[in-house]
Amino acid sequence: MKRKVCELVLIVIFYLLQVSVGRVIAVANIVPNFLIILPIIFGFLKGRNEGMFVGFFAGVMYDLYFSSLFGFTALCFVYIGYYAGFFYEKYEKYEILIPMAMVLVFDFVYEFLCYIGNFLLHNRLNAGFFISRIIIPEVVYTCLCTLILYKLLAYINDKLDTVKTKKRGVNFDEGSI
Amino acid sequence: MRKKFESFLTSKYILIGLTVICLFFIGTSFFTDSLTKPLQTAVSYVVVPLQKGMNNLGLWVSDKLDNLQEISDVLEKNEELQSQVDALTEENNLLKQETYELDRLRELYELDNQYSQYSKVGANVIGISSDNWYSSLTIDKGSDDGIQVDMNVVASGGLVGIVTEVGSNYAIVKTIVEDNSYVSGMIIDTNETCIVQGDVELMDSGMVHLGYFASDVTVNDGDKIVTSNVSDKYLQGILIGYATNVTADSNNLTQSGYLIPAVDFNNLQEVLVITDLKTTTD
Repeated sequence: MKRKVCELVLIVIFYLLQVSVGRVIAVANIVPNFLIILPIIFGFLKGRNEGMFVGFFAGVMYDLYFSSLFGFTALCFVYIGYYAGFFYEKYEKYEILIPMAMVLVFDFVYEFLCYIGNFLLHNRLNAGFFISRIIIPEVVYTCLCTLILYKLLAYINDKLDTVKTKKRGVNFDEGSI
Repeated sequence: MRKKFESFLTSKYILIGLTVICLFFIGTSFFTDSLTKPLQTAVSYVVVPLQKGMNNLGLWVSDKLDNLQEISDVLEKNEELQSQVDALTEENNLLKQETYELDRLRELYELDNQYSQYSKVGANVIGISSDNWYSSLTIDKGSDDGIQVDMNVVASGGLVGIVTEVGSNYAIVKTIVEDNSYVSGMIIDTNETCIVQGDVELMDSGMVHLGYFASDVTVNDGDKIVTSNVSDKYLQGILIGYATNVTADSNNLTQSGYLIPAVDFNNLQEVLVITDLKTTTD
């Protein structure tokens, strides 16, 4: 329960990073996609179910105010969290390149789907421009943000785990005395 | 082994369940926003005050950063007069900030006079669109302050956009530079109508498309384009920007070119919402 609440708070914080702080840190009008980092990292650190949970609520936040198609991002993020969960416990947690590679791939795929829905279907065939001017810069910027935020998120994830085991440990000791 | 199988099964079922929910949301969002509206209202009570706080914090930090940068520049240039210059820059900075604010307020005031026949509400920009494809703005005034959907939004001499969504304490403004925005405009002195159309592919140049002029109209670079009398949502006579590079289209029936918006969309902090709605006959 505590874990879920903490994750929801993190989602709100990342949403604020995206819409408020994004204005300040935007490079050439490109804001990194902070919210996509959450399902990937929680899927990687905690498994499929956690990835899907975080992905669903992060996607709902992402869609809530600025999207005409409510639910699309949530759907994408649920699948991203699910597939990121396949790498759970396959790698050591300090292997930062794995989540970064996932961000690279998933963010690109997600943004390309957005491009198809928003532009390609409206006869905007200049894919080269959209990929090189919007998608690639965003993907790279998001990767850099992952590099910075990964340690922090991994630390929070560990903290949420250790609280549980500590309690259990204390109970066990009391029993043995 | 069994446990592993079970956990796989459950997460698969969760995935299917969430997929169905999302598809249901997507399906309903084609027809109505009554599902998302209560959620938006609930979330906005948490998020909007935080956004306001973040915004103020951000402004404060960027102010401080500006100060630091300017001071360090001066230090490099005048090492021998360091102490003296320090004191002077500090004072200068304060004055600069004040004049900057004064200019901004003066501009707002001028604009206020310019469109004085309309009643207006001032608002702060507290957020941008969550993706990079569009550039909608969130402002910190909502239906509690009398904002309604389709109200026009202006800033520093020109049209910013139109309100598309309203909550009790926030509103979302669709800007004219956004890709799916269309504004009906006209040349201020000849009343020749045209369409101003946002385009994300022009985001680097800061311009928007200007099209559908009749072929016999002469359009000069720098002609003022204002909102037209035939628009059903935009009030007449609000400056949109200046025409440039208008040439005949290949069909020889229309002319099109580019428009330089009167508003600088990159550092928009305050906007004015015109609380009069255009009344249409239908």
